[in-house]
Formats: sequence, C-alpha cells, structure tokens
Amino acid sequence: MLKDLKRVRNIGISAHIDSGKTTLTERILFYTNRIHQIHEVKGKDGAGAVMDSMDLERERGITIASAATHCEWNKHDINIIDTPGHVDFTVEVERSLRVLDGVILVLCSVSGVQSQSITVDQQMKRYQVPCIAFVNKCDRSGANPYRVAKQLKDKLGHNSVLMQIPIGLEDKLKGVVDLISMKALYFDGDNGENVIEEEIPAELKDEALQKREEMIDAVSMYSDELTDAILEEKEITDSMVIDAVRRGTIAREMTPVFMGSAYKNTAVQPLLDSVIKFLPAPIDINNEAIDHDHNDESVTLTSDFDKPTVALAFKLEDGQYGQLTYIRVYQGGLKKGDTIVNSRDGKKVKVGRLIRMHAAEMEDIDEIPAGHIGAMFGIDCASGDTFVSPGINYSMIAMHIMEPVISLSINPVDNKSQINMSKALNRFTKEDPTFRTYVDKETNETIIQGMGELHLEVYIERMKREYKAEVITGQPRVAYRETITQKAEFNYTHKKQTGGAGQYGRVSGFIEPCEDEFEFVNKVTGGRIPTNYIPACEKGFAGCMEKGPKLEFPVTGVRVTLMDGAYHAVDSSDMAFQAAARGGFLEGYLKAKPVIHEPIMKVVIETPNEFQGACMGLINQRRGIILGSQEEGVMSVIESQVPLSEMFGFSTILRSATQGKAQFTMEFSSYKQVPQSVADAIIKAKEEDKKKK
Amino acid sequence: MLRKDLIQKSPVTQILGDEYLQQGKFGAVISRAGVGKTQFLVQIAISMLLESKKVIHISLDDPIDKINVRYKEGYTNLIDNVGYIDPQKAARLWEDLAPCKFGITCHENTFSPKNIRDYLMSLKKNALEMPALIVVDGLDFDVDCSVVLSVLSELASEFSVAIWFSMKSHREEPFTERGFPIQLDRVEERFQKALYLQPKEDKIEVVILKDGAKMNERHLIEPATMMLVSNIA
Repeated sequence: MLKDLKRVRNIGISAHIDSGKTTLTERILFYTNRIHQIHEVKGKDGAGAVMDSMDLERERGITIASAATHCEWNKHDINIIDTPGHVDFTVEVERSLRVLDGVILVLCSVSGVQSQSITVDQQMKRYQVPCIAFVNKCDRSGANPYRVAKQLKDKLGHNSVLMQIPIGLEDKLKGVVDLISMKALYFDGDNGENVIEEEIPAELKDEALQKREEMIDAVSMYSDELTDAILEEKEITDSMVIDAVRRGTIAREMTPVFMGSAYKNTAVQPLLDSVIKFLPAPIDINNEAIDHDHNDESVTLTSDFDKPTVALAFKLEDGQYGQLTYIRVYQGGLKKGDTIVNSRDGKKVKVGRLIRMHAAEMEDIDEIPAGHIGAMFGIDCASGDTFVSPGINYSMIAMHIMEPVISLSINPVDNKSQINMSKALNRFTKEDPTFRTYVDKETNETIIQGMGELHLEVYIERMKREYKAEVITGQPRVAYRETITQKAEFNYTHKKQTGGAGQYGRVSGFIEPCEDEFEFVNKVTGGRIPTNYIPACEKGFAGCMEKGPKLEFPVTGVRVTLMDGAYHAVDSSDMAFQAAARGGFLEGYLKAKPVIHEPIMKVVIETPNEFQGACMGLINQRRGIILGSQEEGVMSVIESQVPLSEMFGFSTILRSATQGKAQFTMEFSSYKQVPQSVADAIIKAKEEDKKKK
Repeated sequence: MLRKDLIQKSPVTQILGDEYLQQGKFGAVISRAGVGKTQFLVQIAISMLLESKKVIHISLDDPIDKINVRYKEGYTNLIDNVGYIDPQKAARLWEDLAPCKFGITCHENTFSPKNIRDYLMSLKKNALEMPALIVVDGLDFDVDCSVVLSVLSELASEFSVAIWFSMKSHREEPFTERGFPIQLDRVEERFQKALYLQPKEDKIEVVILKDGAKMNERHLIEPATMMLVSNIA
C-alpha cells in the first residue's frame, strides 16, 4: 500500500436512487483495470454489476450494502465505497460517509437534485465531507447539466461551478470540453477506453470561453495567486486554477461540477482525474477522536504511521471465513499480529488476516497504514467500534443512528430454520444498528424492527438465501395501547376461606386518567390495610397495566388511589392483596370507559407540484390530517399526521400515484385515541385471532 | 355549547349575519396593507370551523407555521371575548378544531387551482368530508387574474365550497364611481360579498361594500382582536 498519503483517496459515490452510482463504479473499475468486462446493473447477461455482490441486489437492481473496493489510477490509490440510494438503507450511507474523505455526488441530468440527494447532502454536512458533483445520464432526453448546476445552488446551497461543458446533449452527446485545459475530450473504443484530446469545435468556442471566464472568476476566490494573475493580466496557468479549485473544494466552499454519461462510457476518465486533482487526501482532512482518559476531550488524529493506532470499524459482513470487518485506519497502522484494544469494552484482540477488497475478490496484505481502508477477518466487534493501540483510550465520534419505525413478527417454519434464524438475527443486528429484534413476551413471537418495509423485506429475503431460514412473517404491526377516559370506583373483596389457610383482602378506591404511565396513591388511614400489605396492592395494580383487560394491549395513563380496605388477622397475605388489587382494577377499569390509543406518525411527503393534490388525497384516505403544504421550488412538501396502521404499503401506493416521483419520510409523533369504527375493527380482529389459537 | 356561544360572539356572524357564507360563492376582504385582512379571514374561517366544517387556507405569502399561529391567535381572541371559559374546555375544543383546517403555502407564480381541484376530486371520490370554505390569502388583484378567478369559480360551484379572498388596495387610489376600490371594481361581478376594512381613529371600521340589503352598513372592530366594538347605523 502506498505510504505517500498524498496519493491516496478515500471516496464514496452517493446519490438518489437510480442516478447510476453503481454503473459509474463499474466503469471506474473497468478503466482502472480491476475488471475486464462491464456488466450492467440490470444487464441482459444476468451477471449484474460486480459491486452488487448479493444475489438479491442483482435481482432487484438496487444496491443494499455499500461495497468497498480499491483501485489505482495515475499512480494513485483510490478506495471507493458504493452506497445504496434507497432511504431505508440510509444508515449504510451514513456509515460510509463517516470514514470517507470525499464524495462524488452523482446527479441525474434530467431529474436534477432529488430528495435523496438532499438527505445525502445533509449527511455530508454532518461529517463535513467535501464533494464534487457528476451530472450523469447526459445522454437521456431532457438532459440539462446547466439546470442541475443551478439546482445545486438553489436547493442545496452549494457554490456549484461548472468545470466542463457538454459537446452535444441527449442522443448527440459526444464528449465534453474541459474548461481548465480548454480541450475537447472524446471517448473512443468499444467501452470508451481511449480518450482523445482535440481542439474545441468552432461552434462551442465562444460558449467555452465564456464559461471558463465564469469558472475562473468563481474559483479566484480561493487563490491569491490566481487573483493576482487575473488583475495583472498575466498568463493563467492550469496548475493555478487546479490549485484554487482544490482549495475551495476541500474547504467545502465550492462544488466543481463535471458531467457525462457512465452508461454511454462518456467522460468517466476525466472524472477520475478530477478525483485525484480536487478531492482531499487523508492528510488534508482533520479527523477527531474523543480521549476517554482525559475528560472526553477531543484530540486531532494525524495520519502518522508511528503514532498509536486509531481505527474505526464501520461495516461488518459475514464472509466465508467468519466476520469480515471493514476498517478505516486514522492513525498509526494495523499490522498482522498486532494487539489492539476495542475501546468500547476494553477487550484486547489480535489482528489476524488483513485484506484489501478488489471488487468481488480480496487480496491478502500485511498492513493497513493510516489513511487507508481495508478489512480484517476473525475479529468479533460491532459496527462503529473503535480499535486503538494498548495504552490509549480514544473513541471516534459516534455515528448518527435513527430509531426503527416498523415491526414485524417472524416465525420459523421448522426447527432447523429456528436455529438458522437466530444466527441470522444475531448477525444482522450486529451489521446494522437500525435493525433490531426482540421476543414478544406475550405471544413468544420474534419481532424484528427496522427503518421501513423494504428494509425488513430485504432482511427476510437474506435470511432465506444466506441462512436457509424460512420464516413466516406476520402483518406489519402497530403498537396499540389502552387507557381509561374517566374516573371509576372499585370495591373488591377477595375471599377464599374454604378449608386450610384462607385468603382474604378487600380493597376500595378509584382509578382515574393521568398523564404518567402509572401512578399509585395510598390514602388508606387507620391501618384498615396494614402498611406491610400496601406494596402488594401496588404490585397487583401495576401488574394489570401490562395487559389491558379490554384487548390485552398495554395500559397507560392510569392513577390508582387506594382509599380503604379490610384485612383478616390470619387469612390475609401478600398474595391475597395482590389478587384483590387485580380484581379491584378489573372492576374499576371496565367502568372507566377504556379506549384504544394508536401511534400517530408524522408523515412528510415531498412531491413535484403537479401531484400535490393527489398526495393530499392519499393522506385523507388514510385517516390522515394534513397540517400544511408548502412549496419549495418545483417540489411541494406536505406535512401530515397519519395513524401508523394506515401507512403499510404506502410507499408503493405513493409511487404509483406519482409516477415514482414522490418520496416520504415518517417518524413517530404521538399516541391518539382510535375512532370508534376502527376500534371495533381492531376488537373484531383480536377476537378472531383468539379463536384461531 | 361552547361552540354556539363562540359562533354568536364571532364578529363575522355579527357583521354578516347567519348566512354569511353561501356555498359556491365568492367573498372578499379588502383593505390597505397591514390593516387586518388576513386576521379577519381567519375569523371567518374559525366561525366555519365552529360549525364543524372543514377549511383550507391557501396563503401565497405566509409559511405554514405563521398561518397556524394566526389561527390559534384568532381562536384565543374569540374565547376571551366570550368571557370566562374553562381553559381546559377551550383547549379541548381547539384540539377538535385544529385538525379541521389545513394550510397550503405556495408561491404566487406557481399557485395553481389544479392541485386544489385534484385534492377535492380525490376527497369526493372517496366520499370523504368536503371543505366548506377555501381562504385564498395574498392573491394579487392589481394584475389581471380573471383566469384564476374563473377556474376557482368553477371549482366553487362544482364542489359547492365558498371561497374568500383577501384583496390589497392602495392608500393613494380613490374608490371608483360605483364606490368600490379599483381592485374589486374590475372583478366585481364575481363577488357576492365584499368587506372593506379601514382604520378609524384607534379602531377599524368595517364597511359592507356588497351583500344585498346589508350594503353600506358600518361596524367598528378592535384592531388587536378583530372583535366587534358596536354597531353604527
């Protein structure tokens, strides 16, 4: 591996769904001689892109797991991470950005800046990652890179600067004009592998000169040398411009815009050149860690090979030879046989096999020096763990992890699946922090939770394929709750005095709605219930909260006030009072007009203006309440509150209603009472459920 | 009961009478900038909400948050005007009312009645409750807006909803011969009702410009709360 860190780039490719990230990565691998044949993402040969290594990815033509790969270009090492575009897998993007030094933001020349581009942009901001933009698909009809550059400015607030102009557009796309060297670039050969440099065509000359002027004007901000040259009307050299663009890009103050068409093999090589020219090397970037030994102060990490090692495990994968841990080394280096400490739990581990990924293959290496990305085998850890040399106690700043929003019950079909399922779940929860699982105490079912329906679907599919665990999935489930709406009294005597030791306890008081989950107030005076039995009463009442008498949903928001009672000198016991409390609760509860509450989600839909009305209609059909709709450029943002139970399958419906142009996000807002008609339906469903059992 | 009390105390009912709104018709509130068009429109909308009807508020200037604040403010003013009301009851009523209205913010140049139409169509198709009132706040009547108006008027009669507009007049422009502000005069035949708000000493005077028999009636309202001071013959 190169120890000259100036010649190392760790970059990611990220963008909206279907902007062509994977296609671009495929081309890059081809031009850097990593692969010898290009397979399309959804190509007819059925091979699928190399980067989409999972069968599932190839089938669906989407990227699920971000794949890391390594290649060389112009004597520079480039580590590339291809990230998924779909919102449900956003944690993958988040994770990748955490360890990257720069990003190629791919944008579609027709659709421009889309909602996921906005999400990615926010993530880049969070981790302060510099980026260059690549306007892809310039061969599509309706392509307009100028508009995309403008959108970058308007929608994302980037200071976008065109570095190229297209030669022809749509089906007439022939190549690009490089505004720095002022040369026209054409791409020849079966796969566009030959770059031909020619004079700019006469008809584009004026436009090119004008755009160059604009470009130089914009980038002169970042270089005094260049400004001086302009003012003194000296010759402006290429290196001056490159230097200025690089400085502006790394400071995240400007975004150079490139264009082409990965699918048509146009202008990918100049993009690679630009990665090297403009995106930062590991030494250009400040990385920080927290020092746990010194009051959690933040320390700056330097890409120095001799300093103690600090490395971050950012992604886990289950390979043939056990767990494969992708790791980025920030400081020092990882060598085979080194002892390192996992700073989360303080466990010492020995570094075994180290590898470097080349698309689908791996190459064994002896060392991962600072500034590089690699992977190690056989180390048990969770994603996001920091590994350090013994003696220091640093940890990298945590990643931003979202809470799961949807749950699903799964049941293995047979015993074998059962074992495989638990293996798979164990694996997945380690790999993906947004995927959770637990066993429901009531039904003994395994519940999985995730970021969206597609997210869970993919994991179930993976369980089937990779672990041979067949499972039956339940309906996506909503966590209902019960509560009471009015005050009700109870007076209950628990009495069993038929031979042997009897049981006796009487409780009386009232229950009423309250803000907290559960409250117990003891107002018994004069020792009507001896104080040593009071805790037993409270326990009895609290026990009823877990499963409501109405529909067996958990009960919340009840205050129990115990006013009076009676006991028996011999027959009263803790047990008897617990039973009395349960009886009392039941008696009061049914009189207190119990109702069902359901989770209400805040749903935000982003849609092109022409579908605004249709989207608002969709919300209304789902018992939703529209809070408002606001126009932002060509998009409308509709904010609403919709019951979670009505949101299942919404992504499909939204897609078909808006030609796939709208997107929505959803997060928990509050619990609200279920309308009577819906409550009746729930009760009915619950009863049928019971009958089945 | 609270609802009824509030409706009676509403300046809208007091000025325009009970049938202040006819479905399928247009109304306008006209004044100079800053007198209180929007706040008065909000009162109209609130009286509608109190009748358990739905309202869509389309604003061409204000962001959603601001619209929501205006409604809350309008409601509080109305509550205060009625006298003492159990705050808990008032809050509960507001919780019932708030979901019945929703705001749409669009930019002036992209405001398209087609979206509203799509929305109303989808409501109708699914047999959901239709809004009874649409408030259009901020449409520029200084320029020719006959196209938008004719589309909206079709919409109004098709879905039988009332539409109220705010109309900005200018201080220096005198009324036309017919006694209307110039903005209204141009499109006068479309509007069944029109109110003119103007500052008078420390109050606001509401002049009914158009409303059948009530024409030229004058009322005084408090500028801070939009509540009625007294009737003036």
